[in-house]
Parts: sequence; C-alpha cells; structure tokens
Amino acid sequence: MTSLDEGLLQWAVDKALEAGASYAEARYQRDVTSGVILRNARTVGVGSEVREGIGVRVIVNGSLGFAATNTLSREGVERAVMAAITRARATASLRKTPIEFSDERVGRASYEVAVKRPLGDLTAETLTELGKKLTETINSSVKEVKVPAVMFQAGTRLQEKLVINSDGAAIHSVVPRVTAFINFVLAHPQKGTLQRTIEKEASGGAELIDSWRLEEVVSEEVRNLEKVFLKGVEPPKEPIDVVVGSEVVGLLVHESAGHPMEADRILGREAAQAGESFVKPDMIGKYRIGTKYATVIEDPTIPGSNGYYLFDDEGVPARPRYLYKEGIIYEPLHNRHTAKLMGTSSNAAARAMDYASEPIIRMSNTYLKPGDMSFEELIEDIKLGVFIKSYMEWNIDDMRWNQRYVGLEAYMIRNGELAEPVRNPVLEITTKGFYSNIVGVDKHLRFYPGTCGKGEPPQGVPVWFGGPDVRLAKIRLGVIA
Amino acid sequence: MVTALELAESVLKRLEGRFDDVAVLVRQRDYVMVKLWNTEPSVTQSWIDAKVSVLVSRNGRVFSTELSVSDPDAVDNALRNVGEILTKLEPSEIYAPLPEPAEFKPLEGLVDQNVLKAMEEPGKYVEEMIDAALKEGAERVAGTLVFGRMTKALATNKGFRGMEEGTEVEAYLRAFKGEFSGHWAHGSRALDVNALREVGRRAGMYATVTNSKADFTPGKYDVILSPLVVGNLIDAIGWMSSAMAVMMGFSMFMKVKPGDKVGSEAVTIIDAPRDTELAGSTAFDDEGVPTKDKPIIKDGVLVNILHNTGTAKKMGTESTGNAGWLFPTPWNLHVAPGNVKSEEELISELRNGVIITNNWYTRLQNYVEGIFSTVSRDAALLVKNGEIVGHLGRIRIADRFANLLSNWELATKETHKIRWWEVETPTKAPYVLIRQVNLTKPFI
Repeated sequence: MTSLDEGLLQWAVDKALEAGASYAEARYQRDVTSGVILRNARTVGVGSEVREGIGVRVIVNGSLGFAATNTLSREGVERAVMAAITRARATASLRKTPIEFSDERVGRASYEVAVKRPLGDLTAETLTELGKKLTETINSSVKEVKVPAVMFQAGTRLQEKLVINSDGAAIHSVVPRVTAFINFVLAHPQKGTLQRTIEKEASGGAELIDSWRLEEVVSEEVRNLEKVFLKGVEPPKEPIDVVVGSEVVGLLVHESAGHPMEADRILGREAAQAGESFVKPDMIGKYRIGTKYATVIEDPTIPGSNGYYLFDDEGVPARPRYLYKEGIIYEPLHNRHTAKLMGTSSNAAARAMDYASEPIIRMSNTYLKPGDMSFEELIEDIKLGVFIKSYMEWNIDDMRWNQRYVGLEAYMIRNGELAEPVRNPVLEITTKGFYSNIVGVDKHLRFYPGTCGKGEPPQGVPVWFGGPDVRLAKIRLGVIA
Repeated sequence: MVTALELAESVLKRLEGRFDDVAVLVRQRDYVMVKLWNTEPSVTQSWIDAKVSVLVSRNGRVFSTELSVSDPDAVDNALRNVGEILTKLEPSEIYAPLPEPAEFKPLEGLVDQNVLKAMEEPGKYVEEMIDAALKEGAERVAGTLVFGRMTKALATNKGFRGMEEGTEVEAYLRAFKGEFSGHWAHGSRALDVNALREVGRRAGMYATVTNSKADFTPGKYDVILSPLVVGNLIDAIGWMSSAMAVMMGFSMFMKVKPGDKVGSEAVTIIDAPRDTELAGSTAFDDEGVPTKDKPIIKDGVLVNILHNTGTAKKMGTESTGNAGWLFPTPWNLHVAPGNVKSEEELISELRNGVIITNNWYTRLQNYVEGIFSTVSRDAALLVKNGEIVGHLGRIRIADRFANLLSNWELATKETHKIRWWEVETPTKAPYVLIRQVNLTKPFI
C-alpha cells in the first residue's frame, strides 16, 4: 500500500512526455525521522521531521532537468513538471551532445524491510532512558579522567519511495532504519582532552537497539581510551608493519575505492564539488592498484544493511559490484547516463536522498573482502608494529589518492602481541600505497555506518562500510602537530 | 496562494491554545540551479516548495518538528499526538520561554528583481562564467550557478509576526588546464554580472598561473590562504562559536571564555546578519529576536558565543539573535580585512612559502583541542623570493586552529563575497598570511 496514488506520478510522466520530454520520471519520496538529543544525561531536544514530495526528472532537447515540489496536487505537480522542462530547455543550447540513458530492463516491484519490532517502540521516553544509562556507563567507566561532555542522539528513520518512469519502471519500497550516535570528551588537567564518536545505524526495526549492546560497547571503549589517553606513546618513526583495524579499513575503502569508482566522478560530473577520480576509463579492467588481497565489493542487497535497496531510483535491479578485484580496478558504479556514455549497462547505483534531490551515483555498502585468518594469526609474526583500531580525523583529496586517518585507539605490537597504547598515530598514504602494501587480511568482516555526502545541493545518504583487519608491510606513521 | 506569514498564522491558530509556547516558521522557496560538467550543463534543477517548522512546549517540555508541507491541516494532523508525547518527556535542559516580541528593524534591499528575471534564463549567465574562464586559457570548466528566492515567515504565540523575502545568487567554477586547476566562488543577494565573470576569470587564472611543478617537503611553512580557504576554516570556527557546540563538546571554545585571547590582534571575525549583500542576512532570528552584527573574535579576543534564548538562559546571558531553536548558528561571517593593498604585495610579504587557493574536507581529530586537517585542491603554489615557482599538488594543512589564529599576521584590504560547496555560511574574507603552518603529504 503506497502513501500516494501511483496515478498522480503516471500523470506527471505523461504530462512531461506531452510537453516534449524524451524521458520522464516521477518519484514520490517520504522520509520521516524522529529522535532525541541528550547532553550529559539531560534532554536537550526532542523532535521529528517529515520530508514528503515529488521529484520529477526529464530529458528534453538532450538536456536534463529536475524539479521538486511538495504540493501534491495535480496543479503543484504540473508546475514542477513545467519548471523541469522549461528550465532544462533554456540551457539545452549550451549542450554539445544530447544526454541519453542506457536501455535497461527496469523493474515493476514492491518490497519492504520486515521488522521484528515496530519503529514506534522506540519512543522518545525509551530513547531518553537509554541515553541516560549510556551516560551513566561512560561516567562510571573512567578512573582518573573527567567526562565534561557526553552527547547522545538516537532515533528512527522511515523511508518510502515510489518511482515511475517512461520506460515502464514502477518501484515501491519501504525501508525503516534505526540510528544512535554517542560522543564523549575525556579531560585531564595535564593531558588535555580526548574525543570519541561512536555511531550505529542499520535497516530494520526497534530490535536493532538491543542488538548493538551499546552499554557494553561504550564501557569497553571508554576504559580502553582512558588508557590510550593517559599512557599512549608516540608511534615509532621508522617504517613498521601496521595493522589497520576494520573500522579504519571500512572508511578507507569507502573513500579510496568506492568514491573513485563512481562513474560520474570518473567522467567529471562532480568535478567542481566532490571532485574527479584518479581512475580513468582506460584503466578499467586493466590497472593494478594493489595486491591479491585488494578486492572491494559494493553490495546494496545485504539484508539489514544501512545502504539497503533492491532497485535503484531509475528502476534498475540491484546486484553486488566488484570495484577492485584481486588488485585490479574492475567495475565502476553506474547510473543509466554514465552507462550510456561508457557503452555498458547500469549497475543500479542511482540514489536520491529525498524527494528534492536528483538521483545520482551513490555507494550503498562497501567492504574489503575478508580472508580466513584470525586476528592473532594476522599479527603473530610482527616483531614491531602498530595496530590502529579506531579513528576520529580523516580526509582524502578530490582525486581520491592522498588520504589521512588519525588513529584514536591504537596499540604497539611487540613480538606478535598487542602491547602498550599509542596516541594519535597518523596514517597518511596514497591509494596505491595502501592497496599495494596489503600482505594479509583476517576473517572478521565488520560494518560501520556512515552518511555519505555528494552532489549539489549536497545529498547525504545512509551507507555501510566495512572490512576485516588488514596488515600493511613497512609503513611510516606520522604524529599530529 | 497563501503567503508564508498567512500559512504560519494559520498553523499557529490551530496550536496556540494547547501549549505554553508555539513558534511557527515557514520557508517557501523557488530556486534554480544549473550544474556544469565538461563546459556544458549536466542538469538544471528547480525547487518550488515550502517547509513548516513548529516548536511547542508545555511545562518546559519541548518538541520541534519540520514538515515539508504547505497545508495547515497536514501540520495539525502531524502534531495531533504531540500533547501526549510532551507529558512523557522530561523538561529540556535548555528550555526558555519564547521571548516577548521586540521591534525589529526590517532589512532593505533583500530582493533583486534581476535575480528573479535571471531564474528563467540562467543559460546566458552560465555562458558569461564559462567564457571568462576560457579567455584565461582554461581548457574545460565545471561549476554551479544558482538563482533563488526565499520567503521566511515567523509567527509565535507571544505575538511576534515577521516575514522577509530575499533573493540569492551563488556561483562557483572550477577551471582545468591539463593536470592543473583553479577555482573561485561568489555569493550574494544581487545579480552582478561582473562578479560572475570574475568567478570564471579567477578560476581560469589559477588554472593557468604556472605550468611548472615544484617539490614539496612536509614541514612548517608561511602560508597565504585565499578567501575560499579562509572562508572554509572560518566556517568551522563560526560553527564552533555556537553555544550548543560549546555545551556538547564540539568546540575549541569549550576551554576558554569571552575575554580570553584566542588569536593574534589581526584576527577579527564578525557575525553579520545585517549585511544585506550576503544571503544569510535576516532581520530576526528563529525565535523573533532582532538580529545584530557582533564580533565573535575581535582583535584576537573571544567576544561572543552565539546564543538563542535557551542556551543564553543556561549560560546566564542574553540571546545574541542567532536562534536556531536547538542550535544557534552564525548568519553571515565577515573576516576583517588588513592593510595589504594587493595580492601581489601579500606575496612579496610572504617572500618564501606556500599559497593555498582552495581546500576541502576539513575534519577534526578533537574539537575541544581544535586539532584538524584539510586538503588543498586546485592551485597550491610554492613561492620563492616573492615569485610563484610551481604547483605543489595536493597537500594538507594539519594543525590546530589555535596555532592558525595565533600566527595570523597580515590580510589584504579587499575582501571577497564567498559561498560554495565548502563555504556554507555566506562569508566576506580577504587573502590572509599565516606564519608557520604545518603542511603534510603522504609518505608513500
């Protein structure tokens, strides 16, 4: 059962075709979020948001137009259709080549993520209670340091989409999500402060909150980080074996495999915003970026994932994509436009944040393929090394080549075992430097949530990124200034 | 069609008897954006919609909601259970009653009729930007041109009524020549074709400023930051000047207080909501408090943390007119100019060092300590003996905001109106010379 009459969207598509569009698409999208924010166990804000409207996309005279409205009457939708058409037509003369989409077997389907407990169980009251408990856990887990600030934010998100296009697609989906965010600051009169953010987000129902065992996770992190904060040493200056924990690996593959393999970036469509890519079209299927361990998979179909979908917003069925395969740059993420330009088929990467956003190429769930070793086996023959378990600061250049991750929880490895804590080790490395120095991966595939930003106006979409713990040979670590 | 204020009043009427405080904020927009890719439009996007935000409270318990609807009944419907929800909440730590309405002085000149006309023919202005970049020798360009009109209306149960309408222009262009690129941006309330041409010209100029490359060794350098880079970093500092950021542990101002020295005497940063040239200008904030221009940092001293009535009450002070119901924010930012007559003269003052013309991806390891890094994009140039000798490629500023503010030495007289993807708060900023900035690059 959809929240909007499919007939209105079909009418919009027909109206656009009548007005001269060669392609038309109308997408109804409703995003309902609600949640609480606490500071030091006291409520600061309780609220909700409903974004509901229709986004219309057309190709007219070879020019692509998009318009969004939240006036869900025929009059309102017609105004959006005509704005998309007239304003696209007004810039058509500047195009040298017409925009075209690849031919695809689009779907007609309806799917919904089943929940064990409804999102409604996570009332403001329930979430507030959880936030208070977690803050108490943090405060009782420290021994010597003070905790001047704890922020807790949690809530639910329900996303419904209905996409109709002139090629026959009709896709209805309902995806509920649950989210939790905890930030705390540890302070010591001589050592200054240390700050950590923990995030959880996945698709599913209210059952997710318990499955995350947040009290346990937070308590362990705080105890470990207090040790790092008070006793952490500088990392060695010489090149050493570095074991990069799955939290850092996940972000790293998102930034240095996912983004550079977005075909719109490869072709320059995001050049003035998120940038281009070191990957050029002639490198695909040929260029070696890393060792045999460098296999990065992008898969929207993982059940329970944060980036879950079965059809993209152009109606194309989703499937796993191998971005890097055994060290070779393999398959970029495509929508129907870039697929046409590169003479291939779309692999269903078009996503829109909300009704007011155009569908563009996005990641979903990106991860480095795990191996079969245990963590102990991964580090057993390292005489001197560093294990970077978590991070706070990171960034990467606009070509997705030069990147930096500053470790937060980190340890020396001595004679095959974890030893004393390390403070703020800096992994500043090129994409090829990382993937071509992987000498081992363990079997522990873990996923972490994120909100990936891209597009203009910027669109944040829910994703997961993950991987196993990864061993790099002979890397030089830096320290913060 | 109802006006934004009529819509706000209509929603207010349905709610005001049921709560102690009710504020209804309506934003209606009509925007068009042309996005450029390989010197041609990739998409033309339009938004014609409305957003209704509602704040209600009872006995200090507060609930806020934001709805993308234009129908008062739909708002009423969405809020039908709020009364019951409120009974189960605890009072908000930052609750303060909505303020009694104060007279505010409306801002003149927020609407430029030329922007409204340009919305229907953005193509010709796009061409102006492209041509200016190509004339400088650029081979291809990408970028964005936005024209828009926004109407904001606020009605509260304390009797505040306010509505203002403003237009907006945002333009930025990235020009490429071979492996080098340049970038420039502009943001304003009015259409100024020369400013759009200047976006293209400066982007083209930085893409073609030199064909040489220079070697780079990580270390401390004297650095000139362009207004784009200054805008990006000051955006982060402006965000951290919010009282809520301070309270939540997301601010370098958590460890200091107004009156403390946080930078060199050359540093003055002002929140400037009364500057009608910039698109953040507004006469009243989201609680109906009249806005005023005020320094955040003046002559290197922290002067103001930005407040709404709730954070102000919590910290024992007055609202600065920066609500945000939950999170106070700056409206427009001014970075005070210096005395240096030109960019050339600033390069002479630099003598040896680095010019960073654009950056992105500023992230913090620790907000309280202000430990951050950011990556250069487009031209990052090595200067030797006052001359630009070559591109350094993509390098990173990895330092502490406190160091940057302390080592802030000189600035140009001229400021530039900047707004783009990486400078969200409309900003006027000069070129700035900062001594001894830590710059890095990967080892492998």
